[in-house]
Amino acid sequence: MRKYNVDVVYGLYDDEEKLLHAIRKAKNNHLEIFDVYTPFPVHGMDQALGLSESRLHIAGFVYGALGTLTGFLGMTWIFTRDWPIIFGGKPYWSVPAFIPITFEMTVLFAAWGMTITFYTICGLWPGVENPQVDLRTTDDKFCLAFDTNEVSVSDAKSFFSDSGAEEVNTKSI
Amino acid sequence: MNSEHIQLPNKDKIVLAILGIIGLLSLIYIASNDDLGHTRLWTNILHNSVFFTLIALMAIFFICISVTAYAGWNVVFRRVWDGMSHFLLVGLVLMGIIAMGVYFGWHNLYHWADAKTAATDPIIKGKSGFLNKHFYTIAGLGFIALWFFFAKKMRDLSVAEDDHGSNQFGNNPWKHYKSMKFYAALFLPIAGFTSAAAIWLWIMSVDPHWYSTMFAWYSSASCFVSMIALTILLLIYLKSRGYYHAVTSEHFHDLGKFMFAFSVFWTYLWFDQYMLIWYGNIGEETVYFQTRIKEYPVLFYGNLVINFVLPFLILMRNDNKRKYGTLILVGILVFVGHWIDLFQMIKPGTLHTAMELGDHASSAAHGVAGHAAEHAADAHGAADAHSAHSTGFKVGFTIPGIPEFGVMLGFLSLFIATTLHFLSKAALTPKHDPFLKESLHHHV
Repeated sequence: MRKYNVDVVYGLYDDEEKLLHAIRKAKNNHLEIFDVYTPFPVHGMDQALGLSESRLHIAGFVYGALGTLTGFLGMTWIFTRDWPIIFGGKPYWSVPAFIPITFEMTVLFAAWGMTITFYTICGLWPGVENPQVDLRTTDDKFCLAFDTNEVSVSDAKSFFSDSGAEEVNTKSI
Repeated sequence: MNSEHIQLPNKDKIVLAILGIIGLLSLIYIASNDDLGHTRLWTNILHNSVFFTLIALMAIFFICISVTAYAGWNVVFRRVWDGMSHFLLVGLVLMGIIAMGVYFGWHNLYHWADAKTAATDPIIKGKSGFLNKHFYTIAGLGFIALWFFFAKKMRDLSVAEDDHGSNQFGNNPWKHYKSMKFYAALFLPIAGFTSAAAIWLWIMSVDPHWYSTMFAWYSSASCFVSMIALTILLLIYLKSRGYYHAVTSEHFHDLGKFMFAFSVFWTYLWFDQYMLIWYGNIGEETVYFQTRIKEYPVLFYGNLVINFVLPFLILMRNDNKRKYGTLILVGILVFVGHWIDLFQMIKPGTLHTAMELGDHASSAAHGVAGHAAEHAADAHGAADAHSAHSTGFKVGFTIPGIPEFGVMLGFLSLFIATTLHFLSKAALTPKHDPFLKESLHHHV
């Protein structure tokens, strides 16, 4: 199991609106958030946490372009140099016939490339166990966690009681 | 939320009127510099009438899709589409004029409308059960009337909801929505089949010898993208005049996605139609692309750049679907692009018809300039595809000239004026639509 070696103090909320509200409040109070755990993707979370836009799509474009080139140049090489065959009286270099395969290769490269990149960045390979602060966040609880080195436990506790957390715990993960 | 009725500044009305006058002047200019059959004039009228009528159809089509699918995001500006769809009323008149032309032989847009050809040409004879002036008139106009019935029904129900509906708890907020959904669901299959038949009649039959099963989809996709582009441009304009505060970059993001997605869809159909015909290599089919690639290369390939490459690369980025600058740029590009697309669908066929009929113009019944007259190179430069062979590009025939764009602006002003007229008759936003809240808080 991977370890962060961090002592966290975390609060559990029973509603995503309460969590979003708490995040905005923590931002206003300049409390540095360690992480947030939710059972499902929450609308407006990225903006509330101030996360920058993902650059995955740039990688996706590069993979796609790579697929386009591989498909098109590959077919060009195969059908003009490596093994020229005449199909239906068409010329060797029949661009329209290459387009569907070029398209498929673009999609394949972009999809696989982005999936592999995403899994690598997030450490989501099969067999990997990521540390969980509280297993109930996979069911119906919304968790906001602070690193105890950044935010003292007493500050955190008063913050959580102000922002309507149901329960406050500490844990080292 | 601003749900007042719109009142546009007089300056803008004058601009619209000027655009309309430009259109009229262009029509007069074209009419006075035309061949004897007025091929250029009539193709311009057909081209623009069909283009804007189908855009109006796409507007009501998309409303019905949204209502059937419980899609709430566009409720806040749905009245714009309601307004657009009422251009069908004008479309009925415009297509009525063209149908009367078919009936009384005012023009030679359609080869099959020529009685002598229909009797002798085996392919046209075989299609004469569908391609004849009675069916053209009754079905073509009937379809528009049918579409307009649904457009009016949807808008009336929506307006009735403003007056009598309520989204207060306790009342039934779905009362009007339910009957809207009934008509919307009824309209979708009707629109699906009738739009295809209308496109065969109006556009595809200018090439009566040609076969393609992709064509109706291909032109529908063209008009759908243009409709979305026009919606974006119109909304940005209305926002700049202080209306539709509730339409945010979130809504534009979704419209941008539609413009992006349907540009790709259009390309898929464009390419598929080409590839199937290229692969099949059947003479009757390939002649369509032979003409376009040889005599219209700039439009044929330029089409692909304007309608696919540019919107694809520009709209690919997230931000570009949310910013006015890029949306306006791409909106204008694809709107003009698909207008040009329709130009190269219609022009070669009508020129061919004019030429063919001109060949046996000795009968003089059709009033088309004969070849002899054309080769005499008179001052009017009576033109058809033949002169294009020798002179390369011919403005107004193988590429759209300034008068063509003028006519387009004229029709555009008519379209926008109709839209704004019907938009001003009711509140800008449906007041009691059950999805209004969702639309106001729309978040991508």
